[in-house]
Amino acid sequence: MRAFLLIVLCSATLAAQQAASPTVTPQDLIDGLKDPARWLTYSGDYGGQRHSPLTQITPENVHQLAAQWTFQTNTLGSFQTTPLVIDGVLYVTGYNNNAWAIDARTGRQIWRYRRELPDDLHNCCGPVNRGFGVLGDRLYMTTIDAHLLALDMKTGGVVFDVEMADYKVGYSATVAPLVLKDRVIVGIAGAEYGIRGFIDAYDAQSGKRAWRFYTVAGPDDPVGGSSWPKGDAYMRGGGSIWVTGTYDPQQNLIFFGTGNPGPDYYSTAREGDNLYTASLVAIDATTGQRRWHYQFTPHDVHDWDSTQVPVLGDLTIDGRPRKVVMFANRNGFFYTIDRDTGKVIVAKPFVETTWAKEIGANGRPVLLPGNLPDEEGSKTCPDLGGGTNFMSPSYDPALKLFFVTARETCAVYYAFDQKFKPGEQYEAGGTIRPKDQKNFGALRAIDPTTGRIKWEFRYTSVSSSGVLSTASGVVFAGDGDGNVMAFDSRTGKNLWHYQLGSALRSTAGTTYMLDGRQYLLVPSGSMLTAFALPRTQS
Amino acid sequence: MRTRSWVLVGTSIVLGGSLLRAAQPPRSAQEIPVPSPAANNPHLGNRESIRAGMGIYRARCADCHGLDAAGYRGPDLVALIGGGSSDERVFQTIRKGVPGTEMPSTTAPDDELLMIIAYLHSIGTTASGEAVTGNVENGQKVFAAQCASCHRVNGRGGRLGPDLSRIGAARSRSAMIREIRTPGEFIAPIYETVTLVKKDGTRIRGAKKNEDVFSIQIMDTRERIQGYLKSDLQDVVYEKASLMPAFGPERLNQNDLNDLVAYLSTLRKPDVTVRQSSQ
Repeated sequence: MRAFLLIVLCSATLAAQQAASPTVTPQDLIDGLKDPARWLTYSGDYGGQRHSPLTQITPENVHQLAAQWTFQTNTLGSFQTTPLVIDGVLYVTGYNNNAWAIDARTGRQIWRYRRELPDDLHNCCGPVNRGFGVLGDRLYMTTIDAHLLALDMKTGGVVFDVEMADYKVGYSATVAPLVLKDRVIVGIAGAEYGIRGFIDAYDAQSGKRAWRFYTVAGPDDPVGGSSWPKGDAYMRGGGSIWVTGTYDPQQNLIFFGTGNPGPDYYSTAREGDNLYTASLVAIDATTGQRRWHYQFTPHDVHDWDSTQVPVLGDLTIDGRPRKVVMFANRNGFFYTIDRDTGKVIVAKPFVETTWAKEIGANGRPVLLPGNLPDEEGSKTCPDLGGGTNFMSPSYDPALKLFFVTARETCAVYYAFDQKFKPGEQYEAGGTIRPKDQKNFGALRAIDPTTGRIKWEFRYTSVSSSGVLSTASGVVFAGDGDGNVMAFDSRTGKNLWHYQLGSALRSTAGTTYMLDGRQYLLVPSGSMLTAFALPRTQS
Repeated sequence: MRTRSWVLVGTSIVLGGSLLRAAQPPRSAQEIPVPSPAANNPHLGNRESIRAGMGIYRARCADCHGLDAAGYRGPDLVALIGGGSSDERVFQTIRKGVPGTEMPSTTAPDDELLMIIAYLHSIGTTASGEAVTGNVENGQKVFAAQCASCHRVNGRGGRLGPDLSRIGAARSRSAMIREIRTPGEFIAPIYETVTLVKKDGTRIRGAKKNEDVFSIQIMDTRERIQGYLKSDLQDVVYEKASLMPAFGPERLNQNDLNDLVAYLSTLRKPDVTVRQSSQ
């Protein structure tokens, strides 16, 4: 009798645990933001729209948003992450591969993970991280020493640890994993160190690699192989992946923007188009085979990684329904591309561009003279930071408007021959800001059917903030001076701002429902701040 | 190996004195500090390296030191090299930067620094034509009369303009002359001139310290630091002219200018140490 009672009790406890366990299924990931209490992927949904269906915060009441709590990492370094939200808990990655689970109600830490990193790291741009991926009760994170980790969602304990590449020769990883079906899709960074970029798929359970797609074509590639000089230049050809791609479940295609070719500036080291760098690649999710590619900047010499989020949408253009990818590129042009064929439908500059007159009918840029960097220097707009960069755009499918943080900048680009040494920086050039150059930033709303700018809100300095929009007609973004702001999606009118003390980078945060209230969660500096309306309003 | 040797050097400095001398084992090959990369620069005289060095110099250095390396806001490097400054010192200055000036440190590969040095050797070895010729004592008097109301040296003087306590290390003589004669040519961002027009028409002029879409922070000409909401202002007027007047020959004759620059050239390190008198 006593034994029977124990068995009953244990069974009841197990059942209760199973019911309480937050597990994320592949279908949940496909459903995206349908569950208002969750934010499960880097962009919120597979399409990369970063557009929430939530409507509690509106253009009329957004001015009442107030900080509810603040979480401090108590570490150096700035967030570039998108927090995930799963049933009342936030999962956040930070600088130097720290990570936390945080109570979404109070901002109190539940667990903390910190990776022990080697001393001899090589990375161009800081040990940042862009966020977790999730499946089941596991969180997936890339590391600055080029590993992929699976962490236990309940404890932060490491479940598996896979080496993607050798950090000692300059490989690193910062991208938030894209999880689909039973696969974890990640990419490698380090183009400033002469690496050969790739996109990998790993089995989410075992950590075994399923396939690898090289973003720098090898000599045996019938399409891209001849776009590199004979010899081993392709082995240090760059093509980093450091911003999460998107996925179309119907086509079973993943879309990634690829980084600049290496070395960054010195043209002679790598004559040819340098496929598949500075491109959009559409890859079969099952096999890792390229279905099509479009190269935004053939033979890039300005460090214009195309590592922006490829945003998927459905548009009617010239009376014809089109499945498209929308892409605001670092080279200063905005593109609308057919998702089935990879052909350009619309291409228009969204900032001042002096390197190309236009994008020709064949999809190639029509180059303007005088923009090849050399020892004497040549002035080109935009600067190496680009017309936009890693900061996420958003897309409102009801208004059919694409919101992006734009940078108005120019630089004098220099290039010089540099001998490659494994593990040493390999850029072969640099840039300076021209005298009297007044750079500035702006939030711009673009009509993706024409490429025309519908409205803009100018900042006093350049910004690296991402954008987040909601179905109630609010756009959230930040300037380069530490303000998080809200705008009217239709007009660009500024409706609210709050000085955070450090600028938003990479992301404008996430929004979710908890206890009947809509929260806006913003990472800036080493701090997370949660905003909501007063309780009476919500 | 390099790390270990540096640790040994560091330890020697910390311990110092007779204790170390007594305890020192016989000097072995392992303890000999690794020579600086500049001591054996393979790029000196190499045409390809010099050309690459020129590119690196133009991308990273020319903005401050001038395209011809003869100094702009930063010191004259041709004179520096020609004047006998050791390559080791130049290498370490590039590597570590100069604290308190605009010269940053760098993590660029050793080779790039060595190529810059090779390039600097190739463009001229003229000794400095900038020997101090003026009367430093008179220059100090000129400074007190003409400059000190806005510029501070060693904790004394005005605060509207930049602190000049180490201007001699940060600027070439020609850069100082240019900035005295035509101060509007280059204005550092935190000294840009701005006039705020309040709703009642009152105008406040000063140096802009910070700004965003919604607010602006300034030091006004009476040295009051204050932030203003743009929504409370009628206008914000951005001026191209410097708050510092141009000291043309009618205002500062050539001799006084020469003396003033001689004095400024002696200001190489802030001295604000409090020395207690003996009891």
